[in-house]
Amino acid sequence: MPGTTAFPDVELVVDDVGGGGGGPTPPPSGGDDDKRRRPGTPSPNRYYTGITLGIVSILMFFMALASAFLVRRGTSGDWIPVHLPAVLWLNTLALVASSVTLERARRSLSGLDLSGFRKLWAVTTGLGALFLIGQLVAWRQLVAQGVFMASNPASSFFYIFTAAHGVHLLGGIGALFYVLVRKFDGTSIALPTAAEVVSYYWHFMDGLWIFLLALLYLGK
Amino acid sequence: MANYDSGASYPDSSQGGLLTRCLFSTRHKTIGLQYLWLALFSVFLGMAMSLLMRIQLVWPSVHLPFLSSLGNSPDRFAALTTLHGSLMVFLVLTAAPQAGFGNYFLPLQIGAREMAFPALNLLALWVTMASFVGLTGAFLISPQSGIALWIVGVALFCAASLLNALNFSVTTIDLRVKGMTLPRLPLTVWAWFINAILGMLIFSILLAACVCLLSDRLLNTHFFPPFHFPAMQQAGVVTGAVPVLWQRLFWFFAQAEVYVAMLPSFGLITHLISTFSRKSVWQERLVVLALCGVGLFGFCVWGQHMFSSGLNPFSPLGFSLLASSLGLPATILMVSWLGTLWNARMQLNTAMLFALGFISLFLSGGLSGIFLARHDLASAAVSDDFVTGHFHLVMGVAATFAILGALFFWFPKLFGRRLNEPLGKLHFWITFAGVYCVFMPMHWLGLIAHSRVSPGTPVAFVAAAGSAIRTFITVAIVLTVFAQGLFLINFLWSLFRGEKTEERNPWRATTLEWSVPSPPPPDDFGPSDPVVYRGAYEFSVPDVAEDFLPQHLAPEQGAKARESVE
Repeated sequence: MPGTTAFPDVELVVDDVGGGGGGPTPPPSGGDDDKRRRPGTPSPNRYYTGITLGIVSILMFFMALASAFLVRRGTSGDWIPVHLPAVLWLNTLALVASSVTLERARRSLSGLDLSGFRKLWAVTTGLGALFLIGQLVAWRQLVAQGVFMASNPASSFFYIFTAAHGVHLLGGIGALFYVLVRKFDGTSIALPTAAEVVSYYWHFMDGLWIFLLALLYLGK
Repeated sequence: MANYDSGASYPDSSQGGLLTRCLFSTRHKTIGLQYLWLALFSVFLGMAMSLLMRIQLVWPSVHLPFLSSLGNSPDRFAALTTLHGSLMVFLVLTAAPQAGFGNYFLPLQIGAREMAFPALNLLALWVTMASFVGLTGAFLISPQSGIALWIVGVALFCAASLLNALNFSVTTIDLRVKGMTLPRLPLTVWAWFINAILGMLIFSILLAACVCLLSDRLLNTHFFPPFHFPAMQQAGVVTGAVPVLWQRLFWFFAQAEVYVAMLPSFGLITHLISTFSRKSVWQERLVVLALCGVGLFGFCVWGQHMFSSGLNPFSPLGFSLLASSLGLPATILMVSWLGTLWNARMQLNTAMLFALGFISLFLSGGLSGIFLARHDLASAAVSDDFVTGHFHLVMGVAATFAILGALFFWFPKLFGRRLNEPLGKLHFWITFAGVYCVFMPMHWLGLIAHSRVSPGTPVAFVAAAGSAIRTFITVAIVLTVFAQGLFLINFLWSLFRGEKTEERNPWRATTLEWSVPSPPPPDDFGPSDPVVYRGAYEFSVPDVAEDFLPQHLAPEQGAKARESVE
């Protein structure tokens, strides 16, 4: 059973982070309280700090695009709003559902129910893939209506928002898949740590999509 | 997710072929050195470009090797300027002090043995290499596809910088060794850390802008619609259209980018000055606050350039005040440097000379910056030589001096040999005089061009004075560039034949990297982690035999040293 050997390590980590949940950066602990680590082994906190800072950085990227969207909409006369395809709402539902199954998977993991964890985790990965396929369907529908990337600024922004979010989400699916298939015997990162770190990213991607959808819907 | 294959089992560096050891090593020291080699190559390439530009400006009829073969047109000249600028700003000023020295010495100074995510670190190095190929390759192909390739190069550099910034901040937050509390961090680490946070915010923005720009060029979108600038067209600088939205996003990044290049330099210079003055940093806490202030203000002044380019966004006065308020942290840093130097028993070696040279350049460049922070003057001066002079003095040359000072300081640790001191000093003095001769007259050129606008100035007089100054600048730049040959000779000769340093701590410095052999072994600190007992700048402590107390020296050992004095 992969992962079980690593559990004691992990509980320490979860204590350090205080339950997590995508909140603020865990308190820097590098200085004083690391007596229990072997020499040369870096603190597993780095995964939590890394994902938090990574999320801030990705958020900055999308904020730059969003502010460009607002400025561009306000300054130009060539803006033709995009009629959002209905399939987007279904996609959103799939993505929100995936966040729910992800949390339930993690609850199974903390109850040491590994097979339940794997099943729910696979469902989450599947829902993520479903979302991406749905986004492609939305693109096809727009193309069928004659709305292309270069048609007008509004459509350009629609495509670039969905594409950039899709690429980031594809990374998330890769991470979900990695956690699903990887045997966590000899790695320095333990299964619950990996699952928690990936869950931060996935929930962020979920929230980011809802923000982008609201921006595209209200800002048309 | 990066795999961290550490523990006590570091793979031996002697295993594997040359490729595995050099190109695919995830070791922070190897990666840091590769950034430094890349920067060294880029800086000489960039200097060659500037030489070509000056020759072209003064003697337009001379056939230049690069320009003439590719058609001696203004387009080529603009491409040359772009290549010079992008190489110098991205691969030298941004990469060398942060990714180069930072990768090598940040883990060593905090006792970390590795960066937080070594695999990401290697990835960032390779993306940077790809960006270098893109930026230089853009010069060699046709302008249309060249620009697209150049944008790809910049976008790649952004991505690499983001990965680096992430690695640096996580390493500093989570990988510090026992006892290395935040107040005990060396100021170099503080500067790298704050810079990483700033970089993480602004490189995302440039990346987003590059994605849109690339889509405009390749997919015919119109993210950046053409916009006509009244101010620019009056000055006759840009005829045609410049995208307004691009300007906003670009300056959001670019104004802060100046501080991205300067922040690590501030850290390095403070560190060098304290070490070679044999005094602790004057008001160390305040310096940390000032570094944070530089980061914060640097992030906020993005609007300052917009009024200078004629955009006049919201409130010129507001941004003018913000830009001027950057003077506050800068003044604190300057006062702290001078306070540290006050009454110090200075060791005037080459590293210290470069640090003092930095202070001089920063002061002169900063003073001319005050003129530019006034929005009415800035819009008059933005396009001309005044800005070129100001910018090169304060950002280009000053940051280069910090890099050179750091190189002279850390060379014994990097390679176990010293750079030649007399040759280094000769190189310093020629370069120091040279850069003033090149960039000070540029301020005059800018002022002369400005005075031409006012009525009553004889045109012939202005033109004659201008051309004499231009020739002077070009002669000075030729001499300065050739003086860099001295440095190259010194560097290569010292690398193989330089005086060996057997001792670990030739400069009698306090930070952790000097507690390990030179060059450091693969696992940096040997079997057990070091422990830190005190701050980074304990120099000339009373009742101690030596005039410094290293951070890793246990209090008992310090007490022994005291007894031996008594």
